[in-house]
Amino acid sequence: MINYLANPKRFLKFSKVIQPLLGYSSLILITIGLYFSLLDSPVDYQQGHTVRIMYVHVPSAWLASILYFAMAGCATVFLIWKHPLADVSARCIAPVGLIFSLLTLITGSLWGKPMWGTWWVWDARLTSMLILTIFYISYIGLSNAFENETDGSKPASVLSILGAINLPIIKFSVDWWNTLHQPSSILRMDGPSISNEMLLPLLLMLIGFFCLATYIIIINIKIKLMIKKYKKEMIRIS
Amino acid sequence: MKKIIFMLVYRDLKIYSRSLSDFMNTIAFMITIVALFPLAIGPSQEKLNFLANAVLWIALIISVIPTLDKIYANDFKNGWLEQLNYSPVLLEIILLIKCLTFWFSLMFPILVVLPILSLFLGINLDLILWNLLIILIGSLGICLIGSICSSLTLGAKTGNVISPLLILPLTIPVLIFGISSCEALKANMDPYPNLYLLVSFCLILIILSPILSAISVRIALEK
Repeated sequence: MINYLANPKRFLKFSKVIQPLLGYSSLILITIGLYFSLLDSPVDYQQGHTVRIMYVHVPSAWLASILYFAMAGCATVFLIWKHPLADVSARCIAPVGLIFSLLTLITGSLWGKPMWGTWWVWDARLTSMLILTIFYISYIGLSNAFENETDGSKPASVLSILGAINLPIIKFSVDWWNTLHQPSSILRMDGPSISNEMLLPLLLMLIGFFCLATYIIIINIKIKLMIKKYKKEMIRIS
Repeated sequence: MKKIIFMLVYRDLKIYSRSLSDFMNTIAFMITIVALFPLAIGPSQEKLNFLANAVLWIALIISVIPTLDKIYANDFKNGWLEQLNYSPVLLEIILLIKCLTFWFSLMFPILVVLPILSLFLGINLDLILWNLLIILIGSLGICLIGSICSSLTLGAKTGNVISPLLILPLTIPVLIFGISSCEALKANMDPYPNLYLLVSFCLILIILSPILSAISVRIALEK
C-alpha cells in the first residue's frame, strides 16, 4: 500500500478517488456527530451541559498526537529512504496538527474555566500538550528556515523524531502525575468507562475529524506537489 | 587518537580564551537578568528568596543560549568541521569532545557569577558548593542539548531566531530536576533523588547528543 503510494503520480491518481470520499464522509460524520453530541446526548450528572465540549476537545487532542506520530513517522521514512514524498507529507501534516493542538488547548481552557475555575493550570497533561504545540511550531519554523526549501527537510525531520519523546509523556501524564486533568476513560485496560450514549458521538466525531484531517492533508500535499512541478517546469523552460 | 583529542581540546580552549569578551558578556547578561527580577517583583526579601532558585536557573539557561552557537557555527563557516569529517577519528567523538570543551569553558563564567548571584538572591552561602555542583551538571545537559540544536540550524538563514525555540522545550527536564534538587537543599532535605535523575538524564544525553549532532552536521555538510 505504502509502496504503491510512494510514487507521486500514483498518489495523485489515488487521491482523486479518495479525496471526495474523505471530504463527504467527514462532512456527514461531523454533522451527525455534532447533532448527537450537542442535542441528543445525556447530560453529565456533575458537569451539566459543559460536558459537550468533550466531543470537540477529546477528538482534537487525539488527532494532535496521532498527527505528530504520523509526522515523525514520515520524517523517519524520509531520513532512511530519502523519499521526497515522505518529506512533503510531513511538511503538510505539521500545520494541520498545529491547528488541532491549538484547538485542544483552546477548548480545554474553555472547559477548564467552568469546571476547575481557571483557564489554565500547570498540570502535566496541559503542559505536555503545550510542548507538543511548541514542537509543531518549531518544526514548521526549522523546515522553512533555509534559503533552499529542501535543505530544511533533514534537520526538521531529526527535530520531529526528537520531539516524539513527548508523545508517551502526553499519553501517560495523567497516570504518572495525579493532578487536575482527569485520567483517560476510553483507552483503558478494562474497557471504556463512559456510557455508550456518550461513546457513540465521541467516536463519530473522532472518525469525522480524522477524515477531515486527512482530507486537508491530501489537499496540502497536492498543492505542494503542484508547486514542485511548476518550479521544475519553470527551470526546464528557462 | 589521544594526540588528536588533545589537539582538539587545546585548539578549542585557545579559541575560547581569546574571546574573553564573549564570556564577560555572558556574565553581564546573567547578572542583568537576575537584577531585573527584584525590580519586577519588588525588593521584598521573602518573595525573592522564594523565587531564588527559579530565577537563577532561568537566568543561566537564557544567558547560555546565545553562546551555544559558538560550538559549531564558526567552525562550520570556516570549513574546519568539513576537515574534521575526513579525520580518522569518528565525527561523533570529535563533536562530543568539542561539546565537553565548551562546557569546560562555560565553567569560568558560572564560577564567577554564582557567588555574586547567590548574594543578590539571598541563597544560603553554605549551600554554594552543592548549588555549584548541581548547576554544573545541569549546564552539561544544556550544552549537550544545545549541541544538537545548534548543529540542526547550521547553514540556516534565520538560525539565530529559531535555535532558542528548539533548545528551550528540550531543557525542561534539566530545569525540573535541577531546580527540585536545589529546592530540596534549601528545605534541608535530601537532594539525591532529583540529582540522580539529573545525572542520568545527562548520561543519556552524552550518548544521544553526539550521535544526533553528527547526523545533522553531516546533513549540513552535504549541502
